[in-house]
Amino acid sequence: MPLLELEHVTKRFGGLVATSDVSLCVHESEIAFVVGPNGAGKTTLFNLISGVCHPDAGSIRFQGRDISRVAPNEAAQLGIGRTFQIVKPLRNLSVLENVMLGAFLRTRSTAQAAREALRVLQYLQMEKAAALPASGLPLPMLKRLEIARALATQPRLILLDEVMAGLSTAEALGLAEILKKLPEWGISAVGGVEHVMQVVMSIAHRVLVLDHGALIAEGSPQHVVREPRVIEAYLGSKYKELGL
Amino acid sequence: MKRMHLIFALAGLAVSLLLPLVVRGDYHLQVLFRIYLFAALGLAWNLVGGYAGQLSLGHAAYFGAGAYGLAVFTQAGLPLGIALVLLVALALVFALLIGGVSFRLRGPYFALATIAFAEVLHATAKNLPNLTGGDVGIQVPALFHNHVQRSFCYCAILLAAAALAATAVISRSRFGYYLMAIREDQDTALSVGVNTARTKLNALLVSAAFTALGGALYGSLFLFIVPDQVLSIDISNEIAIVAMLGGAGTLAGPLVGALVLESASELFKSVFQEAHLLIYGLLLIVVVLFLPEGIVGGVASLLRRQKRRKAPGEAR
Repeated sequence: MPLLELEHVTKRFGGLVATSDVSLCVHESEIAFVVGPNGAGKTTLFNLISGVCHPDAGSIRFQGRDISRVAPNEAAQLGIGRTFQIVKPLRNLSVLENVMLGAFLRTRSTAQAAREALRVLQYLQMEKAAALPASGLPLPMLKRLEIARALATQPRLILLDEVMAGLSTAEALGLAEILKKLPEWGISAVGGVEHVMQVVMSIAHRVLVLDHGALIAEGSPQHVVREPRVIEAYLGSKYKELGL
Repeated sequence: MKRMHLIFALAGLAVSLLLPLVVRGDYHLQVLFRIYLFAALGLAWNLVGGYAGQLSLGHAAYFGAGAYGLAVFTQAGLPLGIALVLLVALALVFALLIGGVSFRLRGPYFALATIAFAEVLHATAKNLPNLTGGDVGIQVPALFHNHVQRSFCYCAILLAAAALAATAVISRSRFGYYLMAIREDQDTALSVGVNTARTKLNALLVSAAFTALGGALYGSLFLFIVPDQVLSIDISNEIAIVAMLGGAGTLAGPLVGALVLESASELFKSVFQEAHLLIYGLLLIVVVLFLPEGIVGGVASLLRRQKRRKAPGEAR
């Protein structure tokens, strides 16, 4: 049984079809990346999975349970963590406290939450920033903070919406090295990216290509970049020439 | 650090408990009563308006529930203890009605609902003479017969201390972190599994309970209440202003706010007589313009900035 399963999911906003008859699944301990140009429907897809909005048609199942209509806080309870494309740190709180917010989902105790938060910060190699206020962090750190907060909820599946955006290639590759270890923790990840194909190629087990809300290709990274439809819709001829 | 706070709070409590013995005269004791009463009310408001960031401009509803509850329930022949429980329950029902509906929505709906609900209660109290005495008013039983002013002072001090202790405990707990998360960003709060509607409602319930007890105390001191006195928007505003002036979302803010606002308004009343409202208004404008985080918030960020200047490079 796949961890996450979408069947014929459609979502409209007025006349705009943001998600069009999408069927996909994500397996245990798998890292999948959804790629597609700006406006392809990546964020809507994440919002649907995390309960921020609900499908007009089709169903979403998580661990065999229908989650098409659950609220976002219930989705988090069930084990779906997420980051936001536009980083949303709690600016008045410290880095550690921001991460503790996630940890509080599994414990009532402040001390226990702090321990768990520190463990996650160590994993993301940002424990030195624990005491700093979140308001002063540079963007690469804020992106990591988003991931840390979501990981602290101890999810089975984490949705990483544009966590690479705004990072240099070196920074993105550094982050990718860390994310590669997620399956070791029993966590599956679905990332969404617009650019940085190089990073996607290095960590994704599987790539899903979205265009105008529809899934146009799916498979291993090496396979997907050779698909004519993908090259046409998204990558451009450069990738053809590279012969990846 | 934590121990320092505790020592500071206990010293404050000790001084507070000595004050009513030192202060002479009914007038001064009444000013003292107002300071501590509004400190308690501001602390209660601060849980919802400060920590959770949900602007309530209708706390008169719970205040009035306390004052009128005490009057109506004791006139019905109930003993004082039962009346106190019932008036808190009444305020909780009001909080459930307001928060249960409006906390599901985002935007200014909660703030608008609080004003509307309090005004409806205000009008209802005026127009139900059989129950509330209408505009004529209703008698409230005296809680104390000897050393009246001093006893009320002690009650207000204890209420403020209880509200402060509750806030201190909450602000360090998961509940407190969730409230701050809701204030900063509801989407983030939801994404880490916070039931935002329920959490906001819980804060409002605690707030309403303290506010009702404050209202009962206030009503009993005056022995006689009318709707314009305990259910008016002036009460709602004063409670909110105490917290915002001192620093919404800070532990000590409402204490400082009550001390400054209540003593300033008494001072202005005696010095400027009828012009005191004008001065009061000007003071508020100055604070909103120059200290948007309130007195405590403003001083805290000033200290932070100085600390950062002293240790450059540390904050990466």
